[in-house]
Amino acid sequence: MNPVAARSPVAIRLDSVSKRFDHRVKGEVYAVREVSLEVRPAELLTLLGPSGCGKTTTLRMIAGFQEPDAGRILIGGEDVTRLMASERNIGFVFQSYALFPHLSVFENVAYGLRVQRQGEAAIAAAVGEVLALVGLAGYERQMPHQLSGGEQQRVALARAIVIKPRVLLFDEPLSNLDARLRVLMRGEIQRLQKALGITAVYVTHDQEEAMAISDRIAVMNQGVIVQAGSAETLYRRPASEFVAQFIGRTNLLRGRVVAARPGELDVEVQGHRLRVAADGAPPAVGAAVTLVVRPESLGISRAGAGLPGTILSRTFLGEKAEYQVQVGPDTLQVTVYGAGESSMLAAGEAVTLQVPASGVWALAGSA
Amino acid sequence: MTAARRLGRDPALWITVLALWALLALFVLYPLARLSWIAFFDAGHLSLGPAWNVLADPNHRRAFANSLLLAALVGVGGTGLGFLFAYTAVRTGLGRGWLAALDAATLLPLVSPPFTTAIAMIFSFGPRGLITYHLLGIKGASAYGLSTTLFAEILTYFPIAYLTLRPILSGIDPNVEDMAFSLGSSRWRVFRTVTLPLAVPGFANAFLLLFAASLADFATPLILAGNSFPVLPTQAYLQITGLLDFKGGAVLSFALLVPAVAVYLLQRYWVGRGAYVTITGKVGPATAIKSVAPWARAALLAGCVALAAVVAYFYALLFYASIVMAFGANHALTWRHYHVIFTEGLKAIRDTLVVAGVGMPLGGLFGVLVGYLVTRRRFAGRRAMELVSMINYALPGTIVGIAYLVAFNDPPIVLTGTALIIVACYVFRYSPTGIRATVALLQQIDPSIEEASQGLGARTGTTFRRVTLPLIVPAFFAGLGVVFIRSMTAISATIFLVSISWTLITVRILENMTELALGPAAAFSVLVVGIVFVVMAGIGWTLRRLQAAGSLQVTSILGG
Repeated sequence: MNPVAARSPVAIRLDSVSKRFDHRVKGEVYAVREVSLEVRPAELLTLLGPSGCGKTTTLRMIAGFQEPDAGRILIGGEDVTRLMASERNIGFVFQSYALFPHLSVFENVAYGLRVQRQGEAAIAAAVGEVLALVGLAGYERQMPHQLSGGEQQRVALARAIVIKPRVLLFDEPLSNLDARLRVLMRGEIQRLQKALGITAVYVTHDQEEAMAISDRIAVMNQGVIVQAGSAETLYRRPASEFVAQFIGRTNLLRGRVVAARPGELDVEVQGHRLRVAADGAPPAVGAAVTLVVRPESLGISRAGAGLPGTILSRTFLGEKAEYQVQVGPDTLQVTVYGAGESSMLAAGEAVTLQVPASGVWALAGSA
Repeated sequence: MTAARRLGRDPALWITVLALWALLALFVLYPLARLSWIAFFDAGHLSLGPAWNVLADPNHRRAFANSLLLAALVGVGGTGLGFLFAYTAVRTGLGRGWLAALDAATLLPLVSPPFTTAIAMIFSFGPRGLITYHLLGIKGASAYGLSTTLFAEILTYFPIAYLTLRPILSGIDPNVEDMAFSLGSSRWRVFRTVTLPLAVPGFANAFLLLFAASLADFATPLILAGNSFPVLPTQAYLQITGLLDFKGGAVLSFALLVPAVAVYLLQRYWVGRGAYVTITGKVGPATAIKSVAPWARAALLAGCVALAAVVAYFYALLFYASIVMAFGANHALTWRHYHVIFTEGLKAIRDTLVVAGVGMPLGGLFGVLVGYLVTRRRFAGRRAMELVSMINYALPGTIVGIAYLVAFNDPPIVLTGTALIIVACYVFRYSPTGIRATVALLQQIDPSIEEASQGLGARTGTTFRRVTLPLIVPAFFAGLGVVFIRSMTAISATIFLVSISWTLITVRILENMTELALGPAAAFSVLVVGIVFVVMAGIGWTLRRLQAAGSLQVTSILGG
């Protein structure tokens, strides 16, 4: 069986971890502020957020490349906060791959085993198996600069997993690859991680990549985790406007609650009364709410009930068409899949938009 | 504090840092302290009166003014010639052969003893000079004074400007010039409004480097300036060797220190710090360069060829003078001068090679260690160490030489007359090139490569040994090469440190010049240039081999 999957999966826990930096202008700033997080055994959790949100700092603290100023980090129940990276037994895949430029592919992968002073025969066997696993058998004697980006990435991956780490950490590993290779490699990373049953934390700013690869996603902004959950939860039930706008494309409609029933709200938007689904404690009647409406859940037609608007522009993208529609003061995006030629709308046409009761998510407040 | 805690785990780091500080204190700070003590203290009391008297001497004031004037002129002239070469090399689309010829013309002066041009000037323009006497028939021509000193120094130092300006000019994305053309600019306008402004930091840097080099130059003025044009380094030298006035020499060297430090600070904090225009990170597809008109290209080439011809002529002259009986009088071919230097002069050759050979590995190691520590490790006094390690490099050699002389002549530490004092002088004066090469190389090496090693379970010592060290080996060789070359060619500091037991080729050349034994002086010079070329070729070969093995590039081993 798989040589690398021998260790039992391990979970990671972060307890109120903080990291401050001295900023030249702003003085002391938090890169990461009281972040608490649990990664379940064998889970792939992604830290997702815009650049500067603290996701990479969080990952580097888990790895031991940076020390938190406050809080604790546990791997498999062991407090590793004060351990150096070399003492944590982690596998790290860098954005730049960070291959040793003076060592061959074989020696790059063997490096961690040599540090452990394993025997020559054991090293040769383990390196051979791992290289086969990532599809690089026969590349042993190549130097890193002779490899393509995708191949370098595989070497980096092989080097990280050959030491049978307790956890695998990825720092934007695909950002230096072209789009097609990115899709291919993320599939492979996911396959390997599942096959090895290894706990993994993955950092990216690409929401599509995050949704494709993750069991769960933790969205970060300005040093804190703003929401953690499955891709579907984040998409359908975002906890804030930030999450709604960061995950997928979205329309935000400002409105006011006019009636609240269990599981259902009536919301007035620009003088029109919309019925939307809601769970949890409903906001009070009269409260301001923001409706999150995904472009593909809006219906669009030349006539009928709904929000009246005017088409500003149309972009034809083959399997779908995207419209910009002026509705009152707002510009809404509408995506229509598989529309026939006859139903195509032109710029300037007056239309109405249908907002379905489901597929709309109400956020309290309209700030 | 976490940094201190991490250090506590790393005794090897502490021991290394302490050892380096001890060496820096002994060979950089202590001599300077003794020098200021001699210059400004009398019987244990601060007393500026005698120092003032030295400076009030009109001769010394004239020397001070002369030094500044000469340095400024060399700065302007050398930057001009350097720009001519750099612009021609980068912007006229020359073939490989042409570029190699340009590089050779600039390399010769760089690796020669600093006074070879001066000697060739005497052969050319002296009383029996090839041009003045034989060609023009002038009798009793004088090769001494400002104009010849200036000419020799410009020819000696313009390669520094070339090496400074060339990467800057080639760093300017041709697409930026294309953009200006597309907006309707003429060639001249593009040159004036795009190319030149982008090169301004390079000009400033080149000027300051040349200014400092000329200010510190000791050998050229000693041979060429003569009595009519005294400059500070030679005045300080004569004050000490002629009048045995240590205090006066110390004060004069401090007078030299003021402009030298000003230039150093300007260069480091104004030009050096990010003033370079970082141009579009990504260089677009190489477009044909259209910014040079055909006639301008011809003019540039003609200028470069003329200059290269002058350099070649000087070195040919030097070689010729070494193989004729008596240059200017008897032009029969002979090996006599080489026989002289390999018999009477053999001790100097042997001593020089021993000093250079011992200093070379020490200087290389010192450079790599300091460079690594100040870039990659965090410890108290890191910035201070970087600064102190550069002091002897930045100071004019005359100051360093006098400081070593006064510091190690009396107890507690007596090193006068030993080889150690010469080796130490070279190691601490010339290893900063290795420090810089190491720093530059480490800055190209993604720190995550070292982190990758840590993540794989390697401790810091293992990481340094197995990852960092192999990657900075090119810097080690570059640093070692510079220490060797300078040990073969330098004179300004060590002329104060030689003795009956240990002497140097460069000092013998100078002695030969003053005794008018021009033949042996020329033969010695040819020998030095030859040795340096062989060693440079060896190091170049080693560096290429290392690079072929996947290591990173190290820029010109003479950079800075």
